[in-house]
Amino acid sequence: MPTISINLKDFEQLLGPAALGEATAGGNVLTAECLESWLPLVKGELKDHDCETGEVRVELQDSNRPDLWSAEGVARQIRIKLTGAAPAYPFFVAKPQAKRRLLVAPGLEKIRPYVAACTACGYAVTEAGLAQLIQVQEKLADIFGRKRSTVSIGLYRLPEIVFPVTYDLVKPDDARFTPLGFDNKMSLREILAVHPKGSEYGALIAGHDRVPLLRDDEGQVLSLPPIINSREIGEVRVGDRDLFVEVTGTDLVMVVLTLNILAVNLADRGAAVEPVQVTYPYETALGKSMPTPLDFGRPRSIPIQTIREALGMPLEPKQIRDALSGYGCEVRGSKDKLTVKLPPYRNDLLHAVDVVEDVAISRGYGSFEPVMPSQFTVGGLSRVEEMSDRMRELMVGLGFQEIMANILASRQELIERMRLTGSEWDRIVEVDNAMSQTFSCLRQWIVPSLLRVEAESTRSFYPHRLFEVGEVAAPDQAAELGSRTRMALGALIAHASANFSEVHSSVDLLLFYLNCPYSLEPVAHPSFLPGRAGRILLHGTAIGLIGELHPEVLEQWQVTMPAVVFELAVDQLAGEAVEKS
Amino acid sequence: MDTLSQIGSLHPLEVKVLTVLGQHQVRPLRQEDIGQAAGLEPSQLSMAVEWLLAKALLLVESEVVTPIVSLSKVGERYFEKDAPIERILSVVRDAQQTGKRITIQDLQAREGLEPSEMSGAIGSLKKEGAIRIVQGGQVEATGAPCPLAESLRTLLKDLQGAPRELHAFPEPLRRVIEHYAVKRGNPNEPFRIDDRVERRYQLTQAGQEAAQTIATQGLGDEVSQLTPELLKDGSWRTKRFRQYTISLRPPRLSAGRRHPYREFLDLVKRKLVSMGFQEMRGSLVETEFWNMDALYMPQFHPARAIHDVYFVKEPTHAREIAEPFLSRVAETHRSGGDTGSAGWGYAYDRERAKRLVLRSQGTAVSAHKLASGPAVPGKYFSIARCFRYDAVDATHACDFFQVEGIVLGPDINFRTLLGLLNLFAVEMAQAKDSRFLPAYFPFTEPSVELHVRHPKLGWMELGGAGLFRPEVTLPLGVEGPVIAWGLGLDRMAMVALGIHDIRDLFSTDLDMLRTTRGHF
Repeated sequence: MPTISINLKDFEQLLGPAALGEATAGGNVLTAECLESWLPLVKGELKDHDCETGEVRVELQDSNRPDLWSAEGVARQIRIKLTGAAPAYPFFVAKPQAKRRLLVAPGLEKIRPYVAACTACGYAVTEAGLAQLIQVQEKLADIFGRKRSTVSIGLYRLPEIVFPVTYDLVKPDDARFTPLGFDNKMSLREILAVHPKGSEYGALIAGHDRVPLLRDDEGQVLSLPPIINSREIGEVRVGDRDLFVEVTGTDLVMVVLTLNILAVNLADRGAAVEPVQVTYPYETALGKSMPTPLDFGRPRSIPIQTIREALGMPLEPKQIRDALSGYGCEVRGSKDKLTVKLPPYRNDLLHAVDVVEDVAISRGYGSFEPVMPSQFTVGGLSRVEEMSDRMRELMVGLGFQEIMANILASRQELIERMRLTGSEWDRIVEVDNAMSQTFSCLRQWIVPSLLRVEAESTRSFYPHRLFEVGEVAAPDQAAELGSRTRMALGALIAHASANFSEVHSSVDLLLFYLNCPYSLEPVAHPSFLPGRAGRILLHGTAIGLIGELHPEVLEQWQVTMPAVVFELAVDQLAGEAVEKS
Repeated sequence: MDTLSQIGSLHPLEVKVLTVLGQHQVRPLRQEDIGQAAGLEPSQLSMAVEWLLAKALLLVESEVVTPIVSLSKVGERYFEKDAPIERILSVVRDAQQTGKRITIQDLQAREGLEPSEMSGAIGSLKKEGAIRIVQGGQVEATGAPCPLAESLRTLLKDLQGAPRELHAFPEPLRRVIEHYAVKRGNPNEPFRIDDRVERRYQLTQAGQEAAQTIATQGLGDEVSQLTPELLKDGSWRTKRFRQYTISLRPPRLSAGRRHPYREFLDLVKRKLVSMGFQEMRGSLVETEFWNMDALYMPQFHPARAIHDVYFVKEPTHAREIAEPFLSRVAETHRSGGDTGSAGWGYAYDRERAKRLVLRSQGTAVSAHKLASGPAVPGKYFSIARCFRYDAVDATHACDFFQVEGIVLGPDINFRTLLGLLNLFAVEMAQAKDSRFLPAYFPFTEPSVELHVRHPKLGWMELGGAGLFRPEVTLPLGVEGPVIAWGLGLDRMAMVALGIHDIRDLFSTDLDMLRTTRGHF
């Protein structure tokens, strides 16, 4: 989730004198440590701190709280807690009609249906303020807006714009403007083809004969959303006082929420925000015409008992109300029910439990005394794990060193080097989007993992006796998931005179102690020397393989010692043990 | 130690060496002369000499180091097929005569030389003045002789099959040898210079006494090993047993042993069982449904993109997802269903739910357990192998273990969650201090991060936990509250094992596995 930069001096301004005094116990200078102590309120983690510039970097964990992804948002949450007062944002209080209008053209419902906009006047943009504007725009569009697909944002110099603004739909050759980063006018088609943002985001509006365009009443282009702004109107600089802000996208609630966040951020810096009336030619979930920003949140009724039970604490209604209003929520309530409404810049109240967490965070996790769960339960291992542990203990007793390997391996290791290409054993689970060939398949048996160690350890003194008990996966058409995960034991012996009878002795003793009367049946398996390999059978069912590895296999792995191996299906043996008991 | 008991502890090989040197009194002998006189193999001899030196019965009288030159494998090849400078010189000279133009690229292509061999040889020839490079990279012979090439040929001939002392060569040739000798970092040279160390040995005072004693009194009826025969006929009574030098290092053994990281995980497993947790197991291949949807992660969640999860190539989808879970989860994502939630409010894609992935979080195992009618009260854990789409480096592994689980019961709430985490802090990290921070996980609310003061690592994040959202538990058929917890133990394991690279948890180096002790 996003990591944002915050300038401590700017942050002090945003906190305001009252909250700053509280936060710093009257010191009035905000240090990084002091800020860090308040970050639990926003689920933030201090990443680093540059003492020279006073910049800190904070990672914000909650992906459902985009309102916190800016210095303004973090400061707001802390300020509310410290001053106990939620800020008033009068522009959310609905008026019959907003003064400025934005008209949506028909046809956009098929491409990028929604838009929200407002104006923000009287705040002269500072350097730190501009940095935050750019940062929040980027984080919201990139992460919350999924790389501009659901939400993208534009900021403009208001005095240049003649209202009403039209969110239009035009043919790519029918309009021209100078995009940010270029010096000359270009057609929309050229911008989509040539501009770096055109190639990055063009796919979002491709596939139609027309593209979205924002222009004012005199035909001046504001931007080609969600690609690029006009250089003339859409480049905000330090010192600009009057701004026009718009958000376009494919999800109405997310579009309006994004605008709400931008509006309160600007208001927190002193701007007077005024809504813009947006009128659609088609029906939306919020009607055909609405002023934006817009408080679309609905109050939710929550039984006090639910909160008490979830927290395990008999809090009084007043304590709960105080905690919630101290976290920025509107609360009204009776003895056993609360009505909670989130502020308009939040939309993360999916369920009553979300309120429970707000109460806990507002009161501080440290204020809850931990209690041990008191109910008795019996611990235990699965049968497969119990069998694995028994086998591991026996293998250690037989003088084998346990190894642990990555389950991901390459096809080369699992199939080609094992001489299995094209054979009935040439079946593995492969990854579709592998990052590297080295880790692109799930191992279907343990032996290649043992050979990987053997190949790396030719300098380690002999004999080598290795084993691993671990998971493998193999394709299985009968299985629900197309493959089955199994537990397997693989073992390898390598030294100058390693041979079949030596490894056979190990299997023999192991299965003796496991009380498994096995037999061997010859098998023609390409990984082994012909005539020196067998299937291990238990009551006629194959439970494993044993044999001398084929010299070509050893050569492929660059192993210079003879090696013999066996492999056993642990789950089958575990199942067998259960049947017996 | 007196002479007699020292003689008693001598190995038969040592006795042989002492006897030979004793016969020569104080005259120092070379190792090979001793070997010949005593009739010992070089390996036996060097063992005996080593032991005698350690016992101060023998001393090194003198040591002469002689550099010996021989042909390396590269040298043998140059002798057969000419060295690069010879080959280049002859090609360039031939070209000169036939009037052909030849460039460095031509030479390289024709002669199939390595770029490094090529540039070295061209450089040397230019320096010698035997060739020059003119415009366009064309190589020309100057007509001047090339003493370097001639010296090299002389040396290759002289040394073929017959190593010689470096000092047997005159100064100019010595310089050529040293220039073209195998060095560290440059094994592809024709000559190698090895030091032949020639030592002369002589007995110390104690050694002379011991030799004399052996010569005059003999060793008696000494045996080195008690045998069944000696025991059977009782003849051990008349034998004297050679005394051992017990301070020598023993031969190496390799033991059967658990993997140190597995030992750590076994400990974790044992602790969890002792706290009343039942083990759960799952499949390495999962559906997106169980891996994510059932955990109320919306299908548009940023961590579900192609760059976070491994998708299975074939088959791409599971045949079906068990009902009623699929329908309930679909409805919960869309509208909240019967969970009291508003839902995510999007059109849930049932086909995508079947997409097969490699399990990316252990919580998938917990989701299956919730759906299978777990006991209440109940505690469950899994140590599950998980896979993440990450570039592999010192802090990221492509597959790794997650220790995760759930706790069900009527007394489960935020405070018992904190109580459980406190228990983990003490049991798993021996931590005296711990603290709780608000956290975010898509499937829990409230969510907590557990930070502990580890005795060796200081403050560290030990795990994350929370109460499962009703959107997770209700569709899977669980009515009551459920704790979901996960522990990040790899850093602790790495400290206990003394490693700094997470990849070493799955090390392929047998020596490392044989020598790592692990301090848990």
